[in-house]
Amino acid sequence: MIKQQAYQTSSLSEGIVAFAQFARSHGLHVGIQETQDALQAASLGLLDDRNLFRQSLKALFCTSPEERQVFEKLFVLFWDTNPTDLEERKGKATVQGSFNKKANASLVMLGMGKSDAPEEEAKNVSGANQQERLKKTDLSKLNEMESEELEAIARKLCRQMAVRMRRRMKQHRRLGQLNLRRTIRRSIAFGGEPLDLYFRMQTPKKQRLIVMLDVSGSMDKYSYFLLRFICALRENFRQLEAFVFSTSLKRITKALQPQRLDMVLQTLSEQADNWSSGTRIGECLQHFNDKYGKRMLNGSPVVLVLSDGLDTGDAAVLGAELRRIQQRSKRLIWLNPLKGMQGYQPLARGMQAALPSIDDFRSAHNLESLLELENLLANA
Amino acid sequence: MEALQHPDQLIRFLDEHKYVADEELVTSLFLLLKLHKPLLLEGPPGVGKTEAALVLSQWLDTKLIRLQCYEGLDINAAVYEWNYQKQLLGIRLQENSGLSVEEKEHHIFSNEYLLKRPLLQAITETEKPPVLLIDELDRSDEEFEAFLLELLSAFQITIPELGTIKAVHKPYVILTSNRTRELSDALKRRCLYHWIDYPGLETEMQIVRKRLPGIEQQLLEQVVQYVQAFRQRKLAKTPGVSETIDWAESLMALGYREVNRQAMEQTLGSILKSTEDISLLKTEWEDLLTTT
Repeated sequence: MIKQQAYQTSSLSEGIVAFAQFARSHGLHVGIQETQDALQAASLGLLDDRNLFRQSLKALFCTSPEERQVFEKLFVLFWDTNPTDLEERKGKATVQGSFNKKANASLVMLGMGKSDAPEEEAKNVSGANQQERLKKTDLSKLNEMESEELEAIARKLCRQMAVRMRRRMKQHRRLGQLNLRRTIRRSIAFGGEPLDLYFRMQTPKKQRLIVMLDVSGSMDKYSYFLLRFICALRENFRQLEAFVFSTSLKRITKALQPQRLDMVLQTLSEQADNWSSGTRIGECLQHFNDKYGKRMLNGSPVVLVLSDGLDTGDAAVLGAELRRIQQRSKRLIWLNPLKGMQGYQPLARGMQAALPSIDDFRSAHNLESLLELENLLANA
Repeated sequence: MEALQHPDQLIRFLDEHKYVADEELVTSLFLLLKLHKPLLLEGPPGVGKTEAALVLSQWLDTKLIRLQCYEGLDINAAVYEWNYQKQLLGIRLQENSGLSVEEKEHHIFSNEYLLKRPLLQAITETEKPPVLLIDELDRSDEEFEAFLLELLSAFQITIPELGTIKAVHKPYVILTSNRTRELSDALKRRCLYHWIDYPGLETEMQIVRKRLPGIEQQLLEQVVQYVQAFRQRKLAKTPGVSETIDWAESLMALGYREVNRQAMEQTLGSILKSTEDISLLKTEWEDLLTTT
């Protein structure tokens, strides 16, 4: 059992160990090594002073400014709680809620509540025709059965796509710099004459990808598949950052693992209203630029926006923020499921404002159109 | 250097050496010295991350070995490289020596032909443990970060032709990052961590006064207040403390005793480093000059 407060422990060492466990249970990365270091720090005489003690533990236990904030709360909660006023404190907000690690899990509820695990292989695909048909079917018009089948196909095709893209990168390799070290070493046999030249291979540069998925009500039917698709992309782009947005922006990079995806999809969120209320694309992009822009837009990544562009916010903001993103990215690709509809014209205000900053404007209404993205990304 | 017993000693020393540090940073430095763990300093540009390493090396009265990271930094630039020209000459000189190929090879891959880069230099330092500063780690590639992991935990470097070189003295390592990208968890876990933020009004004034002892109180107050106000804005490049010092210095060099319109126009380039920021603030000129 994890002891929640310092008064429950009988010695200082025990207190420190308990605090380490307490911190770990609240999402800080505190392992055995850190605990040991903390005990060692304690033995250096950093205990006489409460501030010093706190600061030492902070330096040992935290790895980011966010964690440092959480730590402050945890420290007070653990060391300062008096058993007598515990009753009052119980009702108070726990730190857990404010820490985004846990918040990620409570994300989503999409149109389709699926309960069975996605692990089953593509066993019930009934022939090529069906496959071809499904690939062309608009994602919003699938029934439950079909959507399962399509998912299996999608998983297979996405895997193939990932392999193909990797292979293509390998073939692209050209001779790189001269490998002086090896050339000289091999030249000894010829009396120092560099007869054979050796080259350093050019390692393919891994392209970074930032994906932003619109999960507002109007995108409801598509978001489920698009999320799966992003997950498949991740297998190829190890450096992928993913966000979902509607009225607010949320980073889902860490939650985006195949085995956790269903949990993500099924967890009914308190912010469920996000999924159906209006979309403020501009504000969300602004939030992205302010909070993550500096960190994530360095080194010109490819940015992928999946949205129908139906914006209830200020279109001017959308235009300006998107331009900011485009200026710092290698390529900005906008996938719009509505574009697959016959006779679609990007007339929505948001879409209009966004168009000038978009490098590639594509549709994303069925699996085939998603797979076309492969060429775009491979050449990026 | 006196024997270090308590962080207070460090505070005093830093103070004497014109470095104003908050208690938390000092505690981290103290732990770095005592636990011999690397310290990762993160924070916006220009808040004194690099300076901290410099001051630490002064305290220890030891060498500061600095490795500036950049995209594409590789082993050749960071750890060691063979002196190829010298090797070629070496082969020529041995031409008629009658040595076997193996012997020749052994000769030209000896210490004589090795160029030590910062990391190798840091672990082969013989006198006393140096301070190793790995600056702006977030700029390097992930591959390099992974390589560092090995170095930071074992403090040894393997050179295929020579064998493994173990650290004579474990260096004190300070890593800095501007957080333009997230460093790997594995690396962070091996380090102590401290986040240096922009200082408050009082602290910043203290810092500037330490650096520019000749500054007049009025100018000092104005400069720092302006900078603090600038930081509240959403600027493309938020000015750091080093910019504050630069600005105050240029104002002093031009003989201004207070910040007025003319002074602003002449010296703004030393505090704001982007045309958009300058034009943004120029439009709000009047407000700023009247309110503060």
